[in-house]
Amino acid sequence: MREPMSVEEVLKRLQEALGEALLSHEVREYTMGVRRKRTYRELWIEIDPKAFRRAVEVMFELDYPHLHFITGEDDGGDSLRMVYSFGLFWAIPWGELSVTMRFNLPKDSLVLPTITDLMPGAETNEREIREMLGVEFEGLKNKRHLFLPDDWPEGKYPWRKDEYGVEDMVKHTHKSVNEIRRGE
Amino acid sequence: MAKTQYYVPVGPIHPALKEPIRVEAKVEGERIVEVDVKRGFAHRGIEYMGMKRNAIQTLYLSERICGICSISHPYAFVIGSEKALGIEAPPRAQYIRTIIAELERIHSHILWLGVVAHEMGFDSLLFWTWKGREKVLDILELLTGNRINYSVFMIGGVRRDITESQAKAIKDMINYYRIFTEEMKDVFLADPVYKARTRGVAQLSRDMAKKLNVCGPVARAAGLRMDVRQDNPYDAYADIGVRAVVPQDIVGEARGDAYDITLVRIYEIEQSLDIIEFCLEGMPEGKIMAIPNYVALLAKIRRSEGEAIGMHEAPRGEVIHYFKYGNKRDGPVVWKVIAPSYNNINTWGPLLLGAEVADIPIVVAYIDPCMCCNDRVAVVRDENGRIIDPATLHLKAVEKTRKLREELGVRE
Repeated sequence: MREPMSVEEVLKRLQEALGEALLSHEVREYTMGVRRKRTYRELWIEIDPKAFRRAVEVMFELDYPHLHFITGEDDGGDSLRMVYSFGLFWAIPWGELSVTMRFNLPKDSLVLPTITDLMPGAETNEREIREMLGVEFEGLKNKRHLFLPDDWPEGKYPWRKDEYGVEDMVKHTHKSVNEIRRGE
Repeated sequence: MAKTQYYVPVGPIHPALKEPIRVEAKVEGERIVEVDVKRGFAHRGIEYMGMKRNAIQTLYLSERICGICSISHPYAFVIGSEKALGIEAPPRAQYIRTIIAELERIHSHILWLGVVAHEMGFDSLLFWTWKGREKVLDILELLTGNRINYSVFMIGGVRRDITESQAKAIKDMINYYRIFTEEMKDVFLADPVYKARTRGVAQLSRDMAKKLNVCGPVARAAGLRMDVRQDNPYDAYADIGVRAVVPQDIVGEARGDAYDITLVRIYEIEQSLDIIEFCLEGMPEGKIMAIPNYVALLAKIRRSEGEAIGMHEAPRGEVIHYFKYGNKRDGPVVWKVIAPSYNNINTWGPLLLGAEVADIPIVVAYIDPCMCCNDRVAVVRDENGRIIDPATLHLKAVEKTRKLREELGVRE
């Protein structure tokens, strides 16, 4: 039986492993319940993108996590804001600790190491982020489109808000993808 | 003579696959040797739409993500939004939400049991289970006015109260389902043919379930005690102390096959009845909405900033919504939705490898993928010129059941 660790212990392990690459952290508290009120806590950390792989490895050293989601945000600036959320110590009543790591990934080097070698189930998440935001995952074996059609034009990413977004395709919805590609 | 391999494309839309999704199986005789799953045939970009609307509009948009569990997504939405905005729903509203969510779990599980019976060729069982499901749909209609897309949740509460007479109707329904669940246990779990047809089919080991990141009844059938209502409780679940239903507690071991998943689902219906009963008995008095004025609510959202994750244990598994509010907008700036099938479909590849063609419908149906009510399928001919279409595939599943029935000596 696994023993859940407290937020402080998890944070300490992350600080030891990442050092200065752990830019900031926040412990959020939420009270749930009506008659038996209990507080559960979440850990939100801000890291340096270079230390991302090490941070994920720490998660796997502490406990085999449950990947909640991977997402990213483009506000039209020079970087993408990536969000990775893991659940540690799941399957223990009141024990799940959600650790959310966020970092800014510069648009001139949109490359991240894959985590599918540690967790094969993360493939869907990575494939979605790859086609929607244009982030390249190093070591991802299956790079086929997940939700977008196979003939989706290269260099167009639906979640991007800069020139790589789908603005021109939205304006020409009467045209097929092939027509836009050929520049008709 | 060398064995010839054939491709059997199932989908984009097929009676066994409730979603527009395509399974390309390479078969050698009856065995599947290679499998490829393609999805994204009807990607609606709903997250993108939500980022352009206000939070109340997006809440009702989220209800349209899934056609069957239309309360699961709004539930994760309100939990996440309340965490991000710092709103607390009144106690009575929290209990009402839990009751509605559990009613939905009952109807979703019974629907699945009917579908699986149909895939195996027990059509009278399909009609019998779906007839039993009507009762809970009637109750949902009584409580909310709709049989689907109830539109009853709101950020910071619910929009409809449960009156005394409605509470009495729910109690009658609980009595009805107590008997019905016992009958279902007899019909499904004690039946030798059902057992033979599902034992060892679609078997998922505990380790594989962990690695494939699966959730909900699929993970529980494999023996993982994971349940958002237990690990990370919210609303009335925090008062109840829900425990995940796992096969090892019921029959001593978890094999993670189609039989175990049936077991988990039937016992979860019982658990839902207990939860509803608890909520009805201990229902707190008071108001049902924290901020009843929608204009005031939107004004508060516009002033707020924050991000949060909302989670709910839907009938099929966990639903996760990530939000970011801010930029002086009255709707989410970032909205990311993860539905249970998103992860659970990962199991198809490994499970179909080495399986028989007749098992495709069961492997596909057992994770309960989301429903999309269309019918379209590519037609392929095998070496004898026979068409392998949905009907043939269904027939293969039925034939296998009949064969087993004869072998086991069960009379029609």
